[in-house]
Amino acid sequence: MAAELMQQGLNWLTLGCIYALIAVGFSLLFGVLKVIHFSHGDVSLVAPFVALAALQGWSASASGMSAIGLLVACAIAVVATGILGVVLDWLVIRRFRDAPAMMALVATVALGIALRESVGHIFPNGHNPQPFPRLIDANFNVTEGFNLPAFNVLVIGSSIAVVVLLFLLLQHTPLGVRIRAVSQDREAARLMAISPSSVFRATFFITSAIGGLGGLFYASYAGVTRFDFGIQAGLIGFSAAVVGGLGSMPGAIIGSLLIAGLDTIVQATLPDGASYRLVFAFLLVILVLVFRPAGLFGSVAVEKV
Amino acid sequence: MRPTFSDITIVIALELIGAILLRFFLLADDWRIVGGILLLFCAGFAVMQFRSDWESRIGDAFNRGTRLAVGLAILLVLLFPLALNGNTYALHLLIVSQLYAVLAIALNFQLGSANIPNFATGASYGIGAYVSALLAIHFNVNFWLALPAAAVAATAFGFLLGVPSMRTRESYLALVTIAFGVVIHQLLNNFDWTGGPNGLVGIPAPSLFGHSFASPIVIGGIKLPSQANFYYLSAVLVGIAIISAQRLHGSRIGLAWNALRADELAARCQGINVIWYKVLAFAVDAFLAAFAGTIYAFYISFISPDNFTFLVSVTIMTMVIVGGMDNIFGVIVGAFLLTMLPEKLRAFSDYRILFFGIVVILFLMIRPEGLFPQRLRRYGGSE
Amino acid sequence: MSGHAVLRGEGLTIRFGGLVAMDGVDFVLQAGEILGVIGPNGAGKSTLFNLITGLYQPTAGKVFLNDRPLNGLPAHRIVQMGISRTFQSSRLFTDLSVLDNVIIGMHCRTQSGVFDAMLRPSKARGELRQAAAKAGELLRSVSAGLYDQRGRAASELAQADRRRLEIARALAAEPKVLLLDEPSSGMDDRDTDALIADVRAIIARRPELSIMIIEHDMRLVAELPHRVMVIEYGRKIAEGSFADIRNMPRVQEAYLGRKATAHA
Ligand SMILES: Nc1ncnc2c1ncn2[C@@H]1O[C@H](COP(=O)(O)OP(=O)(O)O)[C@@H](O)[C@H]1O
Ligand SMILES: [Mg+2]
Repeated sequence: MAAELMQQGLNWLTLGCIYALIAVGFSLLFGVLKVIHFSHGDVSLVAPFVALAALQGWSASASGMSAIGLLVACAIAVVATGILGVVLDWLVIRRFRDAPAMMALVATVALGIALRESVGHIFPNGHNPQPFPRLIDANFNVTEGFNLPAFNVLVIGSSIAVVVLLFLLLQHTPLGVRIRAVSQDREAARLMAISPSSVFRATFFITSAIGGLGGLFYASYAGVTRFDFGIQAGLIGFSAAVVGGLGSMPGAIIGSLLIAGLDTIVQATLPDGASYRLVFAFLLVILVLVFRPAGLFGSVAVEKV
Repeated sequence: MRPTFSDITIVIALELIGAILLRFFLLADDWRIVGGILLLFCAGFAVMQFRSDWESRIGDAFNRGTRLAVGLAILLVLLFPLALNGNTYALHLLIVSQLYAVLAIALNFQLGSANIPNFATGASYGIGAYVSALLAIHFNVNFWLALPAAAVAATAFGFLLGVPSMRTRESYLALVTIAFGVVIHQLLNNFDWTGGPNGLVGIPAPSLFGHSFASPIVIGGIKLPSQANFYYLSAVLVGIAIISAQRLHGSRIGLAWNALRADELAARCQGINVIWYKVLAFAVDAFLAAFAGTIYAFYISFISPDNFTFLVSVTIMTMVIVGGMDNIFGVIVGAFLLTMLPEKLRAFSDYRILFFGIVVILFLMIRPEGLFPQRLRRYGGSE
Repeated sequence: MSGHAVLRGEGLTIRFGGLVAMDGVDFVLQAGEILGVIGPNGAGKSTLFNLITGLYQPTAGKVFLNDRPLNGLPAHRIVQMGISRTFQSSRLFTDLSVLDNVIIGMHCRTQSGVFDAMLRPSKARGELRQAAAKAGELLRSVSAGLYDQRGRAASELAQADRRRLEIARALAAEPKVLLLDEPSSGMDDRDTDALIADVRAIIARRPELSIMIIEHDMRLVAELPHRVMVIEYGRKIAEGSFADIRNMPRVQEAYLGRKATAHA
């Protein structure tokens, strides 16, 4: 029983970390853009496909699949996803900076669809699920009946590291200061000779790369990747950010842990729980929004007139 | 004002040309004919773009000759199936297009008139379809009673969906509507009594005055395939949708929606209860969508959750954006175009969804007002 | 001036986080009176209007319209009770026609609901047509130039006409109290003169209408208001006739400075 509980606790933390890697991006992007970038989930879930492609290229040249090959493929995927974010901003999203929020919203939803479908068409046989390897396959045998898979340790450890790094970057580097300045007041930042578009580029790169890492973990956790995982991952990440309060980093993390917790409980207790996971996550979102429209950690801003 | 002779000519000529092109488009097997007709369509638009005086001339002709235009349009709709050489596939496409036209008009109340994002029109459509199908299968309720029952159920759902809009806006509201849509889809997929992923089968065909909609129409020696029943039924529904849309648009309610679209805070300061008008937009959308859903269910006689996904909602949204927000005619054209195009360009049908995504982005970037932009209201010909 | 208080504020206070944007302000507006509100930028003048119109909820204090408390009422109810306003940076419904902007201003003086619109269209249309005729008259009475442009989109108007249209829209609700937030901003001297004449014409037709007007242009402040109140850092620091307050050292320090002395 205790081992079972610990196992579930571990699942919860692992899922929470994966969601947080995506949710943090939603929150940070909303902070600077002031509009939700709905396709962030789809961008993030491009990473596993890039990694698979890189792996196939690698195993064609070297023989067989190796740990190094996997590592290099993942690194390539993370950087490529970061660049993809910047490119999409340049191609599409920046054109909606001054447009009504509704248009940017619909445009990014459409962008997510286009991205998803492109992956499905470009990747060979991409509309079918693709097996995705576990990033590490070792196990630490802690006590009788309780295994600590190295994969979970990897996910939790690197998520914490990434979040700490992101926090340090935002608080203690010149780039971080500029990002915060632009998210507080874009016009004031411009007057202080901070170019918002360079800040947008940097933010897109950082958040998309982090999301890419989350996407790799997401696929690896599931053991497969699908072209339409992006919508699910995106909706969960976005929900987590909203539950926490858009724009708030700690909010995004706590929101992720909440949704992952709900997810774990539902899957462990309900028969057929897996098919209801989104239902419960969304019920939580709807409840939170009805009672706390700005999320748990957000404060309602009164529009200046 | 009475229409002049040239007004009459313009109206008749344009409607006839439209009908003829539609007929050839529907019956074309060769993609070159399809492409040619599309090119003609684009050329028409290019001309309008550069000769806005022609555009306003046409607009005036239709304004002055409204009665003639409506009468002729009804006549053409009535006679159209006769011109299809009994091609049932063409009739099927027309039915689906008309149902999507209704859905697009429904969504237009929100997206076009009031600028509220709603990604759950597909869900309201599904609720309409499922409620009426369940009533018909389990309780033997006939189509004509199931129709209003489904509408009531979906409207209740619309109000529910509208509740979060009291306190949330834009991105948050969009998330709530997406969430509602996904939840409905997953519930339909998981419940036993909705048939799970297999859906519901054997929905009985409606009948009217003893005439079953499953049998062909025979009038004076002319025989039309059974699809014609549903063709006329959905045409009536389009008519109802157009009338409702016009009545709302031309009333204090349409104005209030437009006001909150332009500036919600200023709208509040004109005495507009924006919460009520937002919820109302959700309810009206769901009401009309349920009608379309019911007809769809009884027409196909088989429904499954996959008919009512998030992508269906996005497709409807694409139709509104492409056709022209807050322009009823434009929205209908958008629905017809985007229903028939993927079917006609079968070779590209794998790329249908990708195509929708890209079309939306391009339209929002290049022509956000859509093919047919909204028009300013006119009162009593005083201008 | 008939001399009873139409609008009254008591101890109005609002905080935004650490900032006290309005701190214990009392004011009274008499029927038929024009009350000027002046003060430096960021003093809290617009905040006062936002508190009155229900856009902001006060942290403390109350607003009364004819002795009825307005606190907690939503903005749209307050308009219905008779307080209309304009905005510092104009907020027209730019993609609608000039006439539609005014008709929307009549929203709380018209009735038809969904069922009228759907099932009794002739009644709903008739009401709207009547509203359109009335709106036309109102536009004509505010400015003939605006009336001629009634079929155009509001976005096509020149700056001065936008401000006029905003006033016309506010009047369409048949208010007892009209709040004008910097109506002359963005106008040159000639437009401002025309504005003064417009406001005079408006009150000539509506002797019962009370007006509060936030202004920076001292010519207008000298000419229109019967009384002026001065706000600084969210507090009322002076009140009285323009002639009186403009000589108060405190007011000069706070706000008037060189610009006003040059005008005087
Ligand atoms: N919604 C709001 N949120 C935060 N601060 C506000 C808000 N509205 C006004 N303020 C602040 O209150 C102060 C007074 O603003 P305002 O009333 O607009 O000044 P003004 O006298 O120029 O009209 C300013 O410092 C402004 O920044
Ligand atoms: Mg101000």
